Amino acid sequence: MNPDLITPGELAPDFELEDINGNLIRLSNFRGSKPVVFAFLRGFM
Amino acid sequence: MRDHYSEFISRGAEIVAVGSDGTGTFQRYWENEKIPYIGLPDPEKKVLRLYKQEVNIFKLGRMPLNCVVGVDGRIRYVHFGSNMSDIPDNETFLRVIDQINASSN
Repeated sequence: MNPDLITPGELAPDFELEDINGNLIRLSNFRGSKPVVFAFLRGFM
Repeated sequence: MRDHYSEFISRGAEIVAVGSDGTGTFQRYWENEKIPYIGLPDPEKKVLRLYKQEVNIFKLGRMPLNCVVGVDGRIRYVHFGSNMSDIPDNETFLRVIDQINASSN
């Protein structure tokens, strides 16, 4: 296992991206309100 | 996950799917498949790099990566897929969410 990979217990790295509808999604905005399931899609490069 | 979205919502959770495709490709796919959860195009691979989603050049693509972030903002569960179809089932995610909800009540 690569020690640099994210591991349970650590703070999820925060980020900000626009979703498909143009809404700005910031991970930390969910903090304190709801759990988030994060799926990284398969795909080419 | 699409067909079980309501089970996630009823538990107060959200699903966010990140991919390296552009916005147009994402929108078409979301529309065609009627996907109800949040789609995040990441063509610059900002988040993909941040979370170190692995690229396997021999398998010509990105390996699936799934994680659950708790209400406290911490990673509660992470699964690095070892092949293209190595994705945990919905039950696994729902169990983690139930644990998060139980511990935050």
